[in-house]
Amino acid sequence: MTTDALLTSALEGTVVEVGGEHGEFAALLLGSLGAEVIKLEGRAGSNSRRLGPFTTPDADPEHSLFFSRYNLGKKSVSLEVAHPASRVPFDRIASHADVIIDSGDRDGVAARLGLYRMLQAANPRLIICTITPFGLDGPWCDLKMTDLTHLAMGGVMASCGYDPTPEGVYDTAPIAPGTWQAYHIAGEYAVISITAALNLRELTGEGAFIDLSIHEAVSTCTEVALPTYLYNGAVVQRQTGRHAAESRTRPWLRRTRDGRYVKAFLFWGGHERRVITEMLNEAGVDHDLETDSYKELVKRSPSEANSHFNHMIDRLAASMDAEELYHRAQAKGLLWASVRYPEENLEDPHFQARGAFQPFDHPELGRPLYYPVSVATDGKNRVTAFDRGAPRLGEHNFEILTRFGFTEAEVDAFKTAGVI
Amino acid sequence: MPQSNSPRPRRPLQGVRVIDLTKIVAGPNATRMLATMGAEVIRVEWHDQRALDLLRGVRPLVAGGDGDNLNRSGLFNNINPGKYGVTLNMALPQGRDLFKQLIAKSTVLCENYSPGQMDRWELGYSELRKINPRLIYLQITGMGKSGTYDNYVSVGPTAQALSGLTHMSGFPEPMPPAGWGYSYLDHSTGYYGAILVLAALFRMKRTGLGCYLDASQTETGIMLSGTAALEAQLTGKATTRYGNRMHSADWAPHGAYPCRGTDEWITIAVQNDDQWRALGDVLGAPDWTRDPRFANASGRKANEDELDRLLAGATRLRDRYDLMDRLQSRKVPAGVVQKSSDRAERDPQLKHRGYFVQLPHSEIGSWPVEGFPARFSNLTADVGGLPGRAAPVMGEDNDYVYREILGLSSEEIARLKEDWII
Repeated sequence: MTTDALLTSALEGTVVEVGGEHGEFAALLLGSLGAEVIKLEGRAGSNSRRLGPFTTPDADPEHSLFFSRYNLGKKSVSLEVAHPASRVPFDRIASHADVIIDSGDRDGVAARLGLYRMLQAANPRLIICTITPFGLDGPWCDLKMTDLTHLAMGGVMASCGYDPTPEGVYDTAPIAPGTWQAYHIAGEYAVISITAALNLRELTGEGAFIDLSIHEAVSTCTEVALPTYLYNGAVVQRQTGRHAAESRTRPWLRRTRDGRYVKAFLFWGGHERRVITEMLNEAGVDHDLETDSYKELVKRSPSEANSHFNHMIDRLAASMDAEELYHRAQAKGLLWASVRYPEENLEDPHFQARGAFQPFDHPELGRPLYYPVSVATDGKNRVTAFDRGAPRLGEHNFEILTRFGFTEAEVDAFKTAGVI
Repeated sequence: MPQSNSPRPRRPLQGVRVIDLTKIVAGPNATRMLATMGAEVIRVEWHDQRALDLLRGVRPLVAGGDGDNLNRSGLFNNINPGKYGVTLNMALPQGRDLFKQLIAKSTVLCENYSPGQMDRWELGYSELRKINPRLIYLQITGMGKSGTYDNYVSVGPTAQALSGLTHMSGFPEPMPPAGWGYSYLDHSTGYYGAILVLAALFRMKRTGLGCYLDASQTETGIMLSGTAALEAQLTGKATTRYGNRMHSADWAPHGAYPCRGTDEWITIAVQNDDQWRALGDVLGAPDWTRDPRFANASGRKANEDELDRLLAGATRLRDRYDLMDRLQSRKVPAGVVQKSSDRAERDPQLKHRGYFVQLPHSEIGSWPVEGFPARFSNLTADVGGLPGRAAPVMGEDNDYVYREILGLSSEEIARLKEDWII
């Protein structure tokens, strides 16, 4: 790694990525921590090369932003893992690996388990992580899944969506928040598992086999939903723009003057009420929160008073733009934020200073695009990064195969035979 | 390796001690992962507002108790299993001295106080590294401590709004964002926090170097915003919402459709013509499934509003699990929108894999806790951690920690209790 960030040398070593799009995020994160990631993606290339958006109008698999987002820094070898003649090069690459990540439907991954057992017998330090929809066994292990169906089955969707009608009837569907979150969650757990296994290997000299279930990973990620049922027998109900709950709560989203939203998270405490009243005064918004009649209402009917206060927050929001309200509210210590588009953070000096985004060249555009690469700093600089963008299909065939002892003529022969 | 007859270690973080000053969900999720992997995680808590973990009082609560309810939250129990717990009054200088003694004997510190609090106590990284040069210090805040926002405050929903994740969830305007119905970024930042610490521990074993890690929930959200920010740079157009539709491919139908019952739904994701034909067969081949407009992927995508309306009409009277089984038997991706009750009672896969782990708690008895989503060979990952139990009650392990780790006498411990320091 040439990139100079704190943790980019943390995981020196080689990760071999096989299989589908389910494991791409896991391998990406390991790459951001300094591992060399060799992606064996087959002659047709990864499925994600066929997902948009594309940087060129022809939907060229070399120009998928979906692929490039999840494959920064990786090395691509177009090895057909299913081809009988791929066995020799596969074994040689895999036998030098620290970690193999294999992902996709169970049947495809299971077909390679015998091979993995042999590789691990020959190299006990090897760590193998399979990422499959339900794990390698169980009554549902062969179901066909996508990101959407995982977010449904794992319980995320049941907590996300819109308020019911005033009569308590849900007339809108539950929502799967975009995008690829099931694979994000599974990828994070895969990396926790793999980095834990790397730590154990430092103690024992031995690797591990990891059988990760995307369904279970998604299931762990629903916060209060399961405890509420397990302890209270209650099912949380989805609500617009705020936490699902056993009973209805007041709104958080407020429409601002510019037609945008601020998320006005409140504990409804005394300090919050005082500073909101101050903000109404400072913004010159007409209100009656300091009148005797309001104070009487608070005593007589706290719930009516809260509804009225709630209405005043709407008025405050409507009096200014979202970004202005966000910064003013934060200056008063309120836990509020503008509901931004993700790209608006590119212009925010805070995230620029922290190096959250890293530019990678796109020759087909004649300009770089800025990718999110890090979630932490060392107090000043980002701690994870990549030393190059995503690879072209088979870009590293020659580099990798010759590194592992194949001659130029042998690499050509693999090509002719359809192995790469 | 030293020669010994002791069994080969199976817990990856054997010998790693983590001081856990975190609260609510994001930080505690990070230390939950470390405890699962065998670290000795010690939660440090106190009774005043600044130090008390509010999650201890959050519903669902187990009925009973003495009224303060600090040990009866099901959510707290689910987020904090496998950890030890001590009380320590950090607001007093003697408390901070004890804290420094703990840091001297630890490997990792995790905290998620508001930015600046540790510096005000003179317990920032630059101070603590003098005590323990190899310390790995993970700080989790809403926006990140370095940069220009250092006084800004946040909880999960705040970070979700700022990152773009709230905006990206839901149906297009004029519908408002649906957002996330829980603090997704408390989960994800916890997972990231664990990853950063695990990588830093591996690096420390190789190099002997500790480090300071200033993690940001909002940046975690930005990282999880997929290709949205890239597409906006490409097109110059603002990111919009797509409901449950697939924006990146011609997959249609792709959404949640109503089933028989009250608020029951199934998701269906058709990725190709074979799946489309199989869907039609399973529905009994109604006329509209043979409409030439829907014969290929681009036609289905172009007429998705109509397609969704027709499909919703066809699923409305079906049983959700039966329809899922029938579609799956024809290899059409389909999944029930499972509620928490479905996952707890019905989901045969979670049962088969032993997803729920029954763990004892010292005050509320034994409860199921959500497990770790992978099975391992050669490696023990268990959510009960070293103590083999659910979350600690307030100060449950004061004796163990102050006597055995810090070597204090019974008299000293009694005096510290009397002086309201522990």
